[in-house]
Formats: sequence, C-alpha cells, structure tokens
Amino acid sequence: MSASSFRKLRVLLVVAALTNGCGERRDTTPLPAAPQRVVSLGPGATEIVVALGAMERLVGRSRWDTWPDTVRVIPEVGDAIRPSIERLVALRPDLVIVYPAIDNAPAIEALERAGIRVVALRIDSVKEFLVAVDTLGTLLGARQTADSIGSVIRGRLDSVRAAVQGDDRLRVFFPVWDQPLMTLGAGSYLSELVDAAGGVNVYADEAMPSLYVALEDVIRRDPDVVLTTPKGRERILANTRWRALRAVREGRVLAYDTLLVSQPSTRLGEAAASLAVLLSGARR
Amino acid sequence: MLVRAVWVLVLLVTGLVVLSLGVGAAGLPLAEVWRTLWDSAETPARLIVWELRLPRALLGVLVGAALGASGATLQATLRNALAEPYLLGVSGGAAVGAVMAAGLGFAGLGTLATWAFAGALVAVGVVLMLGRDRQGARPPASLLMAGVVTGAFANAVIMVVLAQSTPTAQRNALWWMMGSLSAARWSDVAGLALAVAVLGAGLLHMARSLDVIALGGDTAASLGEASERVAMRLFVLASLLAAATVATAGLVGFVGLMVPHLARAVVRDGNSRRTLVVAALGGSALVLLADLAARTLRAPAELPLGAVTALLGVPFFLWQLRRNR
Amino acid sequence: MIESRELTVRYPGSDRPALSEVTLQAARGQLTALVGPNGSGKSTFVRALLGRAPVTGGSLRLDDRSLVEYGDRERARRLAVVLQREEPVFPMTVRDYVALGRHPWRGAWGPVTAADTTAVEAALHDADVAALATRRTDTLSGGEWQRVRIARALAQEAPALVLDEPTTFLDIAHEMDCFELLASLARHGRAVLVVSHQLNLVARFADRVGLLSSGTLAAFGEPGAVMRGEILEQVYRWPLVVSRDPAVGAPTLVPLRRHR
Repeated sequence: MSASSFRKLRVLLVVAALTNGCGERRDTTPLPAAPQRVVSLGPGATEIVVALGAMERLVGRSRWDTWPDTVRVIPEVGDAIRPSIERLVALRPDLVIVYPAIDNAPAIEALERAGIRVVALRIDSVKEFLVAVDTLGTLLGARQTADSIGSVIRGRLDSVRAAVQGDDRLRVFFPVWDQPLMTLGAGSYLSELVDAAGGVNVYADEAMPSLYVALEDVIRRDPDVVLTTPKGRERILANTRWRALRAVREGRVLAYDTLLVSQPSTRLGEAAASLAVLLSGARR
Repeated sequence: MLVRAVWVLVLLVTGLVVLSLGVGAAGLPLAEVWRTLWDSAETPARLIVWELRLPRALLGVLVGAALGASGATLQATLRNALAEPYLLGVSGGAAVGAVMAAGLGFAGLGTLATWAFAGALVAVGVVLMLGRDRQGARPPASLLMAGVVTGAFANAVIMVVLAQSTPTAQRNALWWMMGSLSAARWSDVAGLALAVAVLGAGLLHMARSLDVIALGGDTAASLGEASERVAMRLFVLASLLAAATVATAGLVGFVGLMVPHLARAVVRDGNSRRTLVVAALGGSALVLLADLAARTLRAPAELPLGAVTALLGVPFFLWQLRRNR
Repeated sequence: MIESRELTVRYPGSDRPALSEVTLQAARGQLTALVGPNGSGKSTFVRALLGRAPVTGGSLRLDDRSLVEYGDRERARRLAVVLQREEPVFPMTVRDYVALGRHPWRGAWGPVTAADTTAVEAALHDADVAALATRRTDTLSGGEWQRVRIARALAQEAPALVLDEPTTFLDIAHEMDCFELLASLARHGRAVLVVSHQLNLVARFADRVGLLSSGTLAAFGEPGAVMRGEILEQVYRWPLVVSRDPAVGAPTLVPLRRHR
C-alpha cells in the first residue's frame, strides 16, 4: 500500500511542478554589448533567435529544439526544464533564454548568481509569441528584423481573419490526449489560432490552457468539428466510443499538419491559413 | 443468513449498475436510458448508453469482482489480513510497463494495456523468484517481503523513466496510475470478462484447497495439500486477476484489501468458496459506488477512481493495523 | 503402522545430518513416544513424515508401502499429524475447523456426505470438545485449542496419528486427559506416535519409547528398558535419578540439582 501511494504522490508532485509556472522575466534593459554567446532552451525561443538572424551566436539549445532543421548543428545541452546548471555555466553564455516553469526557478537563480543574464519567456500563445519576438529583438540588437517578423505574422493573421469573415463559426473540439481525455481552454494557442481561422473552441469558456473533461460533457457541448493530430484522428476513428459524438458520426474529424500547427512559430500565419482551409472544407 | 446477504449484494450491484446508467454529463434521464436500451437505430442517446455508460458500468462490476476475489485469495494464501494485490508488486510491475509504453514511446509495439499486463507478469515472476528460500519453498512472509521490495524497485524505475519523458507522457502515466473507468470500451469489458471467468473459475475450483492453505504450510501438508505448490498456483491466479484489472482500468487500490475483510465478516465460517463469491460481489458494489462518487462529486470534471478508493482505503488500512496489533 | 528404516535427513548447507540412520516402528494398537533433548531431531522426524524434510538416505514406510508412493491426499487419509504450533489467521467455529479434517476425503466440489458429518461429530466427542462446537477459534484457551486440533486430526479417520508435543500449554489435568485419550486411541487400533518432553507421562502411558540424541536413535524399546538413569543422563547431559513408581510400576524420573 504505502509504496504505491507514495508513488502516486510523487508523480503528482512532478506533474504539478511541470504545469505550474514561475514568473516571466522580460527585462529588456540593454546589455553593455549585444550578447554573443546565447543559450536558448525551448523550441519557440530557439526558432525566434534563428529568425532574428542570430543563429551564429547560439552556443546551446535544448534537445526539444529541432526547428528549423539547421539548429541541429548547435550543441544540445539537455532538457528545457531543469537543465544542467553546470553545463550551462561551462558554456560561458552571456544570455540564457528559458521557459518560466517553476522547475526552472533554481536554474534561473543559480545562473544569475553566476552573473549570467537570464530571460524567462512564456511562448504558449500568439500574443506571447509576438511579445517574445519583440523582447528578443531588443535584447539581441535586432529591432528592425523583429518588427518586420511581427508585422508579417500580424498581416497574415489579419488576412486569414478577413477571408473567413462572414462564414459560420464552426464549433471546434480539440482532443489533445485521449487517456485521460484532455482538451484546450481559451488560453491556448490552438484556440486562438482556430479563432482566427473561423472557428470557436467549445471550451472557450474555460480560461485554463488545458483541462480534463468527460466525453459526455463534450457530447453535451455538441461540437461541429473535432480537430486533432493525424495520429489522434486514427485513434478516434478506431474507437467506437467516439461515435457518440455527432461530429464523429458525421465524419468531421479533421487532422492538422503537426509540424506547422503544434506550437507557435514564425509560420503562425500559414498555420492559421491551413486551419481555415480545413474548416471551410468541413462547412461544405 | 448468508443466502440473504448474497441476494442483497446482487440487488445492490444491479441497482448501482442502473444508477450508473442514469448518471453522466450529457444529462440523459433514466427513463430515456431505459428506452434506448431497446432501440435499434443509432440515435445519439443510444450511443451514449451503449458506447459510454454501459461498458463503464460493466467494467466497474468486473474490476471490483476481480479485485475482491484476488484480495480474498491473497490474504488467505499469504495468511496476512493486510495483504492486497498492490502490495505484492503487481501494481509496481504494471506501472513500469505502462510508464515505459507511455514515456519511452514503446506504445507503438502494442497498447498500453498490453504493456501493463506484461509488466505485472514480470513483477509476479520476480516476486516468485525472490520469495524462494533455500529449499525452494516460498513461505508467505518471504513472498510478502519480495513483493514490497519489487514494488520499491519498480517505483525507482518509474521515477527514472518519468524524469526523462515529456509532460504529456507523464500525464498519461499519472492518469493511468490513479485508475479510471472513464475510457471503458467493449473490448476492455470482453477481455476482462474472459479473465474473470477463467481465473475466477480456477479460484473457485481451488477454494477448498485455499481453506486448508490458510491454516499454514505444515498443517496444509498434514491435510494432504502440496502446500507450497498449491499456494504458488493460487498466488499466480490471484495476481493475474489483479493484473488484468490493472491493464484495463489502471491502478484501483485498496478494494482488494477492504472487501475481503467485510466478506469474511459476512461469511463467518471461513469457507473460501463463499468468501470469494461475497468478496467478488462486494468488490463490484464498492467500485461502482466509488466510480459514481468520482463522476458526481466534482461534475462535470471527474476525480480519479483510484484516488477515491484510496481515500476510503487508507483509513480502513490504518484501522485494521491498529486492530491487528 | 509407521516405520522408518535407516532414515537420514540432511538439510542443504548444514554440516551434519538432522537425522542419521534412524530405525523405529510405531505399530497399530500401540502408543509410541519419541523423546529427546531440544534439537535432537524429533520435529524433523515429523516433518519427514509429511514429506517436508529432505530425506537423503533410508526410507519411511506407512502400512508396508514406502511413504513416497502415496499421493498427498492418500497419505493424509492414512496419516494424521498435529503439529507443534498452529496459529489461525481467520477465525471460524470449532465445528467448521474440525470439519477441515475431512479435506483429504473430499473432492473439489462434492457436497458434505453423511460420513463426513459422522466423522466430525465423533471427533468432537472423542477429543471432548463437543461442548465447544459453536465457539469461535479465536475465543479458545490454549488447552481448548490443543484439543480442538486433535479433534481435527481425528476427523481425518486415519489409522496412524502423529502428534508433536501436544501437551505444551496444558495444565496437569489436561496433560493427563490428553495422554489418556492417546492411549485409548491406540487401544482401539490406531498407531499413535507422540513427540513429547513429558518423560514421566511417556513412561506411564507409552508402549514403546524412542530416544533421540543429536539425530541418532540412542535407544528404542519398552519404557523400562529405555528410560534408565545412565542412558538418560548421557543423552540429556544432566544428573537424574530414576526410581520405580510404587503404584503403577512405571519408571519415574527426578532430575537433580547440580549444586547442593
């Protein structure tokens, strides 16, 4: 008994630690000189650094940062959460970009004690992505590039919005995981993206970025469309339970391009456009 | 008296199944549930009842019955009133299997359930191996110790695997370790029904031997049982039964601890066959009740079933521990 | 009848055998006692009868067949054993407990037969526990529990009965009761083998006595022949005086104080 309950408790703690955040740090006080040795821990941040034209200044990345492909040549330093502080310090960076997870608090503190500048950026939504572009543009001395990236993304999102103006807004359900059934709330990136693409999240009334739900509750909300990854689509079609959902019975389980849509990136506009195309297909 | 208790339990389980069919976020009243049971068209209501609620209720019946019977068998075999399936490494092994499937991406090679079941089997094998003494016998105390140690080791493996897997995998593993009936499918129901039927029949067949095994190794031998061999068979049957529930519903702890005690209090004459039947029915009732609580206490969100049974089970365990002193 | 022929038992990893070439018989109609100091191999002998000790030489025979030829159930129908200790985990009524003695006679499923009921009632009566039949096993005193266990062995209706120290925890009256019962069971045709430390009772009740010393049989025969001062002193390593009971003529044993 005791062994298993201890185990449950400890896993609970691990997961809690991963889902709670610590505060963001977006201090943009200019550094004495533009940083020359940058470690970026997180796919979004790393992509932004590359897009800002600062890839040659990257001396480390997390093992999850693999987009664009060219970043693979940069030395990988391990996880983005609870990174090895020793390893980071040994790289003698003048800037470290991390995700503001509570588990990263000790690393942030230790790096700052070692005199290394740390920025902690949450890049979970469209807005946060644009803010991160701005912040990193300032810090890396690439304001102009940052502004142009930002306006291109905004422009593309606006044109997608304009294109779907007047269409019925489809009610969308995102099953991000099926055991347990987990979906995204209003605060999520995918929710925002679908909003731009002419749909509305059936769980938009939930502020949390993600939440567990009962399948019967989804049935009650009766979405028009189920939007998921190609793998998720396969699992849903293989499981007869899902037929209790009207969208599934009527054949509207849509799969998005995982590479393009899964996380905020400089191709946000293209991602929104691809979802708009999917949704308009479902309207017919 | 006993016959009446069995009838009461059968009615209770039936009533709880009916109640379960009427509870759900989609808000389908019992009267409509009753109508849809006889519907042949694929209406939304019929789908909710047939694809979601009915398999869930039946899985609850089976998980409870399996855990109750497994616990009753293990307590008698190991002559320890505090033994339960999860104390004996079954849960640890199953959890390692599941976490490996979820965390290391082995899931492509079979479902998580298959991995959990395989993990439980490996753990039982390890416990049987560790629990042997020099003469090749497996005294209950050694099996118990081996189970606890195997569980602790499994715990360490889980921590190592989880430490390097993605948050999604961790979430999946956590959900699974807390037990739930929410993903019940007909294929799960059929698989577990088969396991309960076969393994349960095996246990019922061996029930008289179990009566004697519960008296201890030497005494059982004096009454004509090859005690260690028979005890091992019972141990394996009971472990497989628990592993089968773990593969379909995750870890639902303490049912196998609490229910056999209550069953023995009802049966009173120590007859294992009757205890097994009563424990199976009692297990079904307890799991259905716990699942109803898990679904309604914080609706529309669901509490993990294993957490609800643990909330009931831990005080019970402590009370037993004090009483046994 | 129970018979051992040059029985040798050696536990793996131990440097000397627990029993070495022990030859003795416990015949039907007789009460045979096995005595000896602690660790002399008495309980090993009982375990060997149950097939639970590693026999490395010689043989054990039951009614002129080697014991290993019997199936587990078959053996239990011919040989009932009451072990030194037994602690029940799950309480039940005395009658239900005694009924477990019918186990070797019952299949996996069959109903309780008239023969089962008769045997249980007879066993309750013979062991003088009929009055306890509806009591629960966790409410019995030490002496009651011993007699209930003997009743369970009697319900086995085996022609051979072995008891390992049945009078531990018993007061004088119950000790006497127990030996009277064993002697009467022997008189009615059973082969009864009792392991005991009660040398005086053994001397009075037993027809044959086997004396074990460090795994070997130091003497085997009638009490008068075995229970002699010089033999017992050597085996028990303690000074004692053996006299003859004036009333019954059995040897009586008085251990002496070593100093003064």
